Amino acid sequence: MAARTDSSRSSPGRSASLARVLHADCARLLELYKEKESFLAEHGPEGPNIVAVSLSLDDLSTYDKLRLLRSALRECLALLRSVMSREEELGYSDGGQGEYESMRNTVRDRLEHLLHSTELLLEETRTSNSPQVPDGAVSVEPDEVDGAFQAKVWTYRVLQELVHWTRYTSQTLHILHAEWEAEGQQTM
Amino acid sequence: MRFLLLCALLLGLGAKNGDGQRGSQLPVPQKVTVNADLASQTLSITWENDFHSTVQLYDIKVLRTELMEVAYNETVEVRPDPTLGVHRWNWTSDTPLQCTSLSVQIRSRLGNQTSEWSPPEIIRGMDIPDKTKGQMLPQDKVVAVGTSMVFCCIVDEGKKFGAIKSNWSELASTMLSRRTYATVRINDSPSESSGTNVICFDDEKSMIDGAVVFVGYPPDIRDLVCETRDLVSVECHWVQGRDTHLVGPRRMFFKLNERDCLDANKPGVVEQKCQLNGTLDQGETKWTLRARNPLGHVELTDTADLKNRIRPLAPELSVEPEARKASLRWQWTAPWYNTLPLVCEVQLVCGGQLRTLNYTGKGLAQVLLEGLQPYEKYRVKVRCGAQQNFWKWGSWSSELRFSTKEDRPDPVDMWVYMTSELTGYILWKPLSKSQSHGLIQGYRVTLSSLTEEHPQELLPMGLEYSVPFSLDSLVGDHVATVTARNAAGVSPDATITIPRFQPDGGEALPGIFGTGGGFKLSWSPSNNASCGYVVTWNCTSGGQNCRLDWVKVPEGNTSATIESGSFKAGVRYNVSIYACTPGAPELLARSQGYVQELAPTATVTNLKADQRGSDILLYWDSVPLEGQRGIIRGYTVCLYNGSHFNLLDNITDPSIKNLTVTKLSYDTYKFLVKPYTSAGAGPGFTVSIRLEPVADMLIMEILIALGTVTALFIVVTIVCYRKREWVKRTFYPDIPEPKLPEWSPTQVFVSRTLDMKPCPSSSVRIVENPGRKLGKEELEVVLEDPEEAESLGNEPADTDSDELASLQYYNQVVGEPSGQAAHASESASSSSSSMGSTRTDITYTGIQTSSVADTSSCSSTAAPNQTVIQLSGGYQPQMNPVTSPTQPQDSSSDVALLEACRGYQPQASWRLDSTEEAGLDSLGSPTSVNSSQFLLPESSQEEERGHASSTTWFRTLLSGKP
Repeated sequence: MAARTDSSRSSPGRSASLARVLHADCARLLELYKEKESFLAEHGPEGPNIVAVSLSLDDLSTYDKLRLLRSALRECLALLRSVMSREEELGYSDGGQGEYESMRNTVRDRLEHLLHSTELLLEETRTSNSPQVPDGAVSVEPDEVDGAFQAKVWTYRVLQELVHWTRYTSQTLHILHAEWEAEGQQTM
Repeated sequence: MRFLLLCALLLGLGAKNGDGQRGSQLPVPQKVTVNADLASQTLSITWENDFHSTVQLYDIKVLRTELMEVAYNETVEVRPDPTLGVHRWNWTSDTPLQCTSLSVQIRSRLGNQTSEWSPPEIIRGMDIPDKTKGQMLPQDKVVAVGTSMVFCCIVDEGKKFGAIKSNWSELASTMLSRRTYATVRINDSPSESSGTNVICFDDEKSMIDGAVVFVGYPPDIRDLVCETRDLVSVECHWVQGRDTHLVGPRRMFFKLNERDCLDANKPGVVEQKCQLNGTLDQGETKWTLRARNPLGHVELTDTADLKNRIRPLAPELSVEPEARKASLRWQWTAPWYNTLPLVCEVQLVCGGQLRTLNYTGKGLAQVLLEGLQPYEKYRVKVRCGAQQNFWKWGSWSSELRFSTKEDRPDPVDMWVYMTSELTGYILWKPLSKSQSHGLIQGYRVTLSSLTEEHPQELLPMGLEYSVPFSLDSLVGDHVATVTARNAAGVSPDATITIPRFQPDGGEALPGIFGTGGGFKLSWSPSNNASCGYVVTWNCTSGGQNCRLDWVKVPEGNTSATIESGSFKAGVRYNVSIYACTPGAPELLARSQGYVQELAPTATVTNLKADQRGSDILLYWDSVPLEGQRGIIRGYTVCLYNGSHFNLLDNITDPSIKNLTVTKLSYDTYKFLVKPYTSAGAGPGFTVSIRLEPVADMLIMEILIALGTVTALFIVVTIVCYRKREWVKRTFYPDIPEPKLPEWSPTQVFVSRTLDMKPCPSSSVRIVENPGRKLGKEELEVVLEDPEEAESLGNEPADTDSDELASLQYYNQVVGEPSGQAAHASESASSSSSSMGSTRTDITYTGIQTSSVADTSSCSSTAAPNQTVIQLSGGYQPQMNPVTSPTQPQDSSSDVALLEACRGYQPQASWRLDSTEEAGLDSLGSPTSVNSSQFLLPESSQEEERGHASSTTWFRTLLSGKP
């Protein structure tokens, strides 16, 4: 097995950096939404996670963990696109000129980039010994999101999910990056 | 009759029927149904009643089922549907119908009589136990600004109500049911695009649910105008009025003639226009625009014939430029303009200057732009309108930029500046961009004459635009030629015949004054000026960059205003006017001046001051030209007075450069000379000079003074000599001899007053006795006329009288007759009381010595018949205080006498034994004697001798004796 270098296009280091930036963007996006809908600042609605994975992540290897996290992020991206579509339909986005709208688009773009990066990374690191765990993550459908207020609450929860899963992904990629570097030093 | 019976029967039946209804129960409304329109919060209630019933009034009651509170209870008049016989009535609730269950009951009313209530029809609310989840109602309501609305909160089953808040403020709420609470919100301002949130909390401050209300305005548009752009469609525009503040699905939607405006209805579209198909042949057409949103709708109409509403689209331009013209073409995106008579406006911009050109034509699509400048950049754009029934200008085309091609340069503007008879410079001005018509590649300068076959080519000096030349001789005319060259060719020749050299003329030139930063010139016309005039100027002060400049004045003009950015204040310019002739230019006039005068920066030179006798001549030289900075109008001369300069003279004629200052005393002077122009004075030049007396004059003045003094002395001497008697009598009268009365030896001095009566009056005259030691003089007593003495003795003595030249001493003699003695005793202290006593008149002259005085000699030992006596006692002007041993020491009378004798001691140098000097100021004081200066010598004897000798000399002089 050739020595892995961090200079490859799908290195865990780059993905980890991207995930870290994306996590910060998601946190900022949530803050901006709280500023926009001020009632959420003090009375954030509570509820179960919208996105759920089939296995407990604590028991999985880093590789499998990353596979599941990528699946969860893919669900988050779908939710974000849905939210963006709904907001544009309702006319909430001020022509994409506001900071919230700009950050929302940035999160979407970086999330797409991270999904693509992790996909390449998973393909590169997959070995024949890798366990075949289901990679599916599911997201619950919003119940009774037929009013503007419930849509706002739903958007808030989606943004919370983004913060949660990007943080988890960032941590996992950093671990993977560390393992990658350790493995590279041993092979050299 | 039969008719009347029929009427009575009918009235009776009618009365019977009415009584029958009052007597029985009114029919209860049947088949009551209630339908709820949740969006409009309206209950639609229908029921049926007895077909034959005449009841038209019904009591309708709406109760909140759970608490049985009345939500509505009114009596309404409802008529049945004529075809179906169904009664229908609508009730709109201010509270959302789902907030709580409602019960509807109806009863018939006829006057005060009512039927039973119908069974309640219940509209189930969302707060029934089956629906445990809490919620907020209504959702996504759209209301107008200024309205109020009711929100209700249904609490989750098992929880307790807390509060309803909107924009962080808690709203007052009322209980509608066990789980439902309502509140009223006044929507006083438009909401944000995402609406206004109204949120319900439980008692633990957890959010139960929320609702969003969108507050805005109904549509507001105006000024609908329809026109055609492409001749095959209609485009209608309108103006958006007040913003509705409603977006998304709540935004405005437009329909034009009942067709959706697809462009205007797009979300986020801000362009207010709608397009329909249409042709020019459809004639007068009406267009109706309808705008609606959840709060209302508005309609606008416009009617017109599209033939009169043509506003062309923007053409697409192309250009083919040449040097001085360009062919401009354009095309239309709509092909139907080719047959339309058009008027087009072309805007041409070059160097910030705008030219607007109008062209007309059927299907106009090409114009020729003429009069363009070669090698110039242009911007052009075009818009068109219908030539017939002009409606509006169409849209401007996009701006097209192009550059014209190069052309050969214009002739060069040249001049010749002669520095001597045979040398000079050929000058020319660089061609401007509008004259060069391209990039100038160079200039060619030639000098030719009739005697030379080939012209002499001169090489220009860099970028100076000038070239020096020298002529071989003055024979014949020499012609200078300058041409410019660019890529398109060579400019036409610019020629000038070399003129004769004419010196500037220096200071003698007449002066001209600048106005407004330049010179306004006018001159007499010249018959030789066949091609106008040339005005040249160059600075004669100001240092460098002093290039000659010129301007050409067209023929017929005899005035010009020359203005140049190179003109500087305080710099002198020579201005020359030439007549342009077929030959060499002819100088008409030359002058000098300043465009603006300034105060001089330099002062006069060589200021000097010369003494001319008792005057001072100041003279100086002119201010250097560089420092004049204006025409010198004069000089101010100031004189320093120790603290500052005072103006001495103002010389207003600048040609006068000297000043003579007169009437000065011999002293040091400092002068200041300042030149001044019309703008003020310049710095001053100071010079100092000491004015000293001339030596000859000094000597002459001394001699004159000495001669004057000498002559005066001689005259005084002569006068004194001739008038010596008068002088002597006036200033030095003879001291009369003492007149002593008859002296009785038996008489005893008993009184202070020396009574000389016993002695004949005598006069005392001082005679010089050379035989005495120490040069002391003796008093020589000369007896004079007794009668005179008597006459004098009757008068009181006045020692203060200046006119009295003699002094009288009265000696009181003891043993006189009682009458006299008594009289004497009465006035013992008064000299005036010495009536009858012998008076002694004494005139003192030059009495300097009497130190040796013997009081005993002036006592009883004195003999009356003696002619010369030693005066003592009574008269001792220079007596020494020597006490006579013969005088009784204890005799008070003698002491008094002695005191009295001491009373006159004007020139004595003695010392008093007694301090009682009060008595000494009595008679005999020498201050009463005329010419007292001679009676008051210095105390020292040497001085006394000196005085004695001088007085002797003077007296001798006065007496005329040697």
